[in-house]
Amino acid sequence: MPKAFRTAAGMTGLGLLLLVMGAATLGPLLAPYDPQAFHPAARLQGPSAAHWLGTDQFGRDLLSRLLNGAPSTVFFGLGATLLGVGAGSMIGVIAGTAGGWIDSVIMRILDGLLAVPELLFTLLIVTFLGGGMGQAMLAVAIAFTPGMARIARSSVLSIRTREYVLAAVARGERSPYIVLREVLPNAVGPIIVEATIRVAFAIMIGATLGFLGLGAQPPSTEWGLMVAEARQFMFRNAWTVAVPGVAIAMAAMGFNLFGDALRDSLDPRRSS
Amino acid sequence: MSFYHIPRRSALLAMALALAVPTLGAAQDDPKMGGTLKISHSTRIATLNVLSLSGPAEYPVIDMAYSGLTRIGPDSQPMPDLAASWEGSPDATEFTFHLREGVTFHDGTPATASDVVATYEAILNPDIPASAASVLNMIDTVEAIDDLTVKFSLKTPFADFPTSTAHANARIMSEEALAGDHALLDTVVNGTGPFKMESYDSARITRLVRNDDYFIEGKPHLDAVEMHLFPDLAAETTNFLSGDIDVMLLVQQADYERISSAPGINALRVPSGRYVNVVMRFDQEPFDDLRVREALAYAIDRQLLVDLVLEGLGRPAHDNILSPEFKFRIDTPEKSYDPERAKALLAEAGHPDGLKLDLVASNRPAIRAQVAIAIKQMALPAGFDINVETMPHDTYLANVWRKGGFYMAYWGMQPTEDATFNLLLTSNASYEDTGWMNAEFDALVQAGRSTTIESERADAYTKAQELMLAELPYIIAFYEDVLTASKEHVQGYTLNPINRYFYLENVWLDE
Repeated sequence: MPKAFRTAAGMTGLGLLLLVMGAATLGPLLAPYDPQAFHPAARLQGPSAAHWLGTDQFGRDLLSRLLNGAPSTVFFGLGATLLGVGAGSMIGVIAGTAGGWIDSVIMRILDGLLAVPELLFTLLIVTFLGGGMGQAMLAVAIAFTPGMARIARSSVLSIRTREYVLAAVARGERSPYIVLREVLPNAVGPIIVEATIRVAFAIMIGATLGFLGLGAQPPSTEWGLMVAEARQFMFRNAWTVAVPGVAIAMAAMGFNLFGDALRDSLDPRRSS
Repeated sequence: MSFYHIPRRSALLAMALALAVPTLGAAQDDPKMGGTLKISHSTRIATLNVLSLSGPAEYPVIDMAYSGLTRIGPDSQPMPDLAASWEGSPDATEFTFHLREGVTFHDGTPATASDVVATYEAILNPDIPASAASVLNMIDTVEAIDDLTVKFSLKTPFADFPTSTAHANARIMSEEALAGDHALLDTVVNGTGPFKMESYDSARITRLVRNDDYFIEGKPHLDAVEMHLFPDLAAETTNFLSGDIDVMLLVQQADYERISSAPGINALRVPSGRYVNVVMRFDQEPFDDLRVREALAYAIDRQLLVDLVLEGLGRPAHDNILSPEFKFRIDTPEKSYDPERAKALLAEAGHPDGLKLDLVASNRPAIRAQVAIAIKQMALPAGFDINVETMPHDTYLANVWRKGGFYMAYWGMQPTEDATFNLLLTSNASYEDTGWMNAEFDALVQAGRSTTIESERADAYTKAQELMLAELPYIIAFYEDVLTASKEHVQGYTLNPINRYFYLENVWLDE
């Protein structure tokens, strides 16, 4: 295991990530109850032998809902990031490779977009696209694009003048070949690190949108929505809010710490 | 000549008395003058146009700033407002209202019969969107006999006319304002009510101050009323419990117990005819088949819905759109939760393997989605596989409301049987959304409207309800109580179950 993951933070990140990814893949199978089933006699209860994490206002089992909501919550984070990273990298690589006025125009536009905080930008886009899981995911992806493009571009710029790139140019290779075979594979490290950390933000923005009623809609078990629905009952059973809230924090923290460790392990100055 | 504002709903009267109880303790004291009452609400005040507004935070503002010809009192009977008295002809086709003398609008111009005529002509003008039009469309002519006398001639007899003139959207506006640009009505307020507008901010604080020229001597008691608008329910509740808000106009069921048990707070709970209804369009499959509608009716556990969604703060309903508060309401047969029977009905209707359906619920207020989700679970054993689709309210209004085949609606209580039926169920109802279009039902509602003989009205409304229950245009599973709360120093605060009239001129602060 790389040295960076052998720190406390690295281990915690890896552990949380495994837990969250485990819940996202196997969660629905492990849920002890139907996440939508009502248990009217046991509503708003704390943890018990029958309901390990307690129940919500309809007597629905919180553990089952949490496990059931894991795939959509995590999928949202991964999907939005992947889309944003894909689009951003493409734009960044084009700008970085093309240089000249194309680079200037693209980067000035992106700089303008970067001036808007990501959450506000996302809310703005959702206002145009309308609420819903798909729209929210697209909005986060769009909001992520400028930042990713900037990272991809700087990565490309540092590689563009390396000898193996110049050699390919000297060989008379065509531009697409150079970009795909020589530049991109060597620029990918920083992009992956940034993407991992961004998954954490995407999960949190997704939960925020769900909470605001702009993302997932009832009766979905998306975690942000679970917090929103339970908020009214917070004073009667704090578990209804705490369970999905802590889960969101764990997922975000897992990706964040994992991303940090990944960055450290790829950083030549630290690994030497 | 006969008068039509005889107290008649003893049940409501008893309720109103019960309501007065929290304020009786200090009622012997003389009301103290002065002070600012701070009211909170969790929605915006989008417009102040009396003719068309419909928001829950908008009604208290126009109730303070404007007067109607009549007003619905705490006993749910019409009471004098701008009109000091009225009389109807024995056949209930002509009504004459006598206005109070010397009343002025907030800008100082006198309020006279010509303002009343201008207001009613605006309401009846088909080119002007007016919420009160459907309950006042029996008016044939309205004329000013002299400065203080207005005479209405009706196309058909209508015994409840003084109740209809109390419609919250039929408050009297000045002739001058109505002749001007109607866009100004959204923001400019010039009424004859106990309070006048000082500042209007649609999303934060709207402040009204005492109208020294109010036509009831010695009222209002308060110097000012502020409406504090919170974007968020939790923030509103916290502010009421710990801050300096005096009245929380609308309390959520989930918070009621916590608020009512907090020290120094009077919580009020008023049984009301407010309901969430399931719309099942008659002109779309599969609900064009009565057996499918009936099947769903038997697939809902109504008491459980009251317990789960309303926290017990309501009463189970059995699909009658009229709650027990209505005079002509019939004893309604109870429908018990019977998934087997529902299953059999579905099979009979040609769906032996059950039915897969999409039920749409707007996300505002949350109660729509909560009821939808509960129905989904309850109807599962009966063979209904319901997918609940929740959407933003604006999307719902644009795409689903009055178009979709299966969705959740939410309505407040109306003052009369006639107003209730003509809001939703008759063929030309204001918000007709069932596609029922039943001529026999229309005729019965018309018959109930057109006679002053009590037994004939009872007969018509009985038959109309029986027909409605047999044809089942809506599933109505409960009547929701109206919940409100005030601090102990607030005196004289009452609430009407229709929730459109707030009587804040009677409120005073015992500080």
